[in-house]
Amino acid sequence: MSDRFTGTTGTSLVGGTERHASRSLSTLFASVAGVAAALALAPLWVGDSRVLMGVAVLGLTFACYTIGFNLIFGSTGQLFLCVGALAGIGGYSGAILADTVGLSIIVSVLLATLAAGLSGGLLSWIAVRRSLGVIFTGIITLIFSLTFETLLLGLGELTGGENGFLIESGSDTFLREQIPPYYLMLALVASFLLVHGLLRRSHIGWAFRALRDDEVAAELAGVNVARYRIYAGLIGSAMLGMAGATYAFTEGRISPNTFGFAEVDVVVIVMLAFGGIGTLFGPILGAVTFTIIDEVLIEFGQLRLVILGALIVVLFLWIPRGVVPTVRSTVEKRRRRKSDDSQPDQDQQETLQPLGEMNNKGG
Amino acid sequence: MTAVILDGMVLGLQFGLLATGLTLVYGLGGVLNLAYGQMAVISAMVVLFAMDAGIPVLPAVGIGLVAGGLIGLFLDLTIMRPIYRAQGEARVLLSLLLTLGVAFIVDGFLNWRYPLKALNLFIGGGAVEILGVPMRRGSLWASGITLVTFAILFAFFRFTNLGRAVRSVIEDEEGAKLVGIDPRRMLRLILVLSGVLAALVAITRSMVIPVDVQAGFSITVFALIVAVVGGLGSVPGALLAGIILGIINTIAATYIGTFLSLVILLVAAAVTILIRPSGLLGVKG
Repeated sequence: MSDRFTGTTGTSLVGGTERHASRSLSTLFASVAGVAAALALAPLWVGDSRVLMGVAVLGLTFACYTIGFNLIFGSTGQLFLCVGALAGIGGYSGAILADTVGLSIIVSVLLATLAAGLSGGLLSWIAVRRSLGVIFTGIITLIFSLTFETLLLGLGELTGGENGFLIESGSDTFLREQIPPYYLMLALVASFLLVHGLLRRSHIGWAFRALRDDEVAAELAGVNVARYRIYAGLIGSAMLGMAGATYAFTEGRISPNTFGFAEVDVVVIVMLAFGGIGTLFGPILGAVTFTIIDEVLIEFGQLRLVILGALIVVLFLWIPRGVVPTVRSTVEKRRRRKSDDSQPDQDQQETLQPLGEMNNKGG
Repeated sequence: MTAVILDGMVLGLQFGLLATGLTLVYGLGGVLNLAYGQMAVISAMVVLFAMDAGIPVLPAVGIGLVAGGLIGLFLDLTIMRPIYRAQGEARVLLSLLLTLGVAFIVDGFLNWRYPLKALNLFIGGGAVEILGVPMRRGSLWASGITLVTFAILFAFFRFTNLGRAVRSVIEDEEGAKLVGIDPRRMLRLILVLSGVLAALVAITRSMVIPVDVQAGFSITVFALIVAVVGGLGSVPGALLAGIILGIINTIAATYIGTFLSLVILLVAAAVTILIRPSGLLGVKG
């Protein structure tokens, strides 16, 4: 019973088997480049349509959000239900700094990133200091989200309230053209993936895995659990803020709904859980899949929500761990069975070898 | 000042009732039911349709309560099966995702089919004076029903064998099993009870403000916050937290006004959780 409250036990939903730590540097770069190259082809397909390009940019923005959330929740088990709010801190402070204060766009985005990073780091610090479990971190951050949303609506003079904020800065640059924003967002996605991949390879990644698998054991082994949680909160939130601010400048108009809890957090959780919590490429898979599903369902009008809900139920009943871990373990099992059949004596060697290969491809 | 406190109590009793159905299911099964608000909304719609069909108010309300219980039973027989198979944190997460899916289905369907429906059980007649303060009849009825409900719940948990069995599972599931209690049956009972309570939330709320088909999400969120502030799994905690937050909200709304009253309510909730992470009357100290 107490485990449920403190959230110290390892869980089967989060992560799964983790063998990517030993992924070599060149493989990491190659796989990120491969994913980026595949995504770079999208404009060839939908580049003619302004609407669809807008959807694609939003999809990549959600990929960024999901990577940031994955770094916080997937790596260190802090359930941040304020993804939209942190992205909104980025978006709104970027817009206000550029338009109202008059700073350049680049400086505004950087300051917005800093603001979101510090807010997330502060939340993380509070959660760690009070040793809040998963659910309580979730509730505190949910309250943070609701407070942020209320303030956005209430401080209408600064934020434009319900009507939203029209961003003047950048309106005559490439940021408002049809195709370039897509590649800008793609660059963000690729660099976030690289940052996450490199983090996983570093000592920070080892600490993340150790504290997620067994917090007490990690603490006993000398891992400063508190410090690494706050690192994850800082870096992940900075990603959220940067993505939110960049999206704001490409879109030109933001409103409380752009960063609303129902519009962002719920979607991000579904995307991550679909792709595989704690995996490197799961967020991309989830974001791309759900962006496409959502777009296909648009012609169903109001029924879209019904179909989306039914899909969520079916998917999580069928693959509760997410696609990436499920596919990985299925492939593993199949290879093991094959090697069992062919050469029972060299069982060990045969299974180890293909595993290394598969890791390079999968994930 | 008396008026503000009384208004706060009225709101607080509503908050308390809101949180009870959610807190019981979490305390017992470790399941966060994000479709809780939608259970309430469906029940409200059932009452509305029954009344449209010419059934008098009281029987219609009865049908709504039964409908709430049936929704709970339905959830228990369907998505709760795989959820209970998972353990600990995985269970919380899976329940969160699956009930979220259910909430989407319900919200999407109601918005598609009946976007403008709202249940409205306003009770006419002049105001009644309590301690020199004029109170609306609807609020008094809602508070009265809530108080009676809490009295019945306390009696159930304290004096009946079934209620004691439920409490024993909340305290220690393994221990309860050892003395011959089937936790799975208790979970089903509580989910049905939670459905009935959700229906009651919708009905008492509609005596004060109309309950429309979009109300589900906000009901769930407020229920969640009150439940956590009170201590997940604790019914007295839910009542206490509800009343405290209700009074804080009314005081803030009266003396400060505007959007800041909601901010103050949220901050008060956050501060309580940070000071006492297990909630006001949480099981774990």
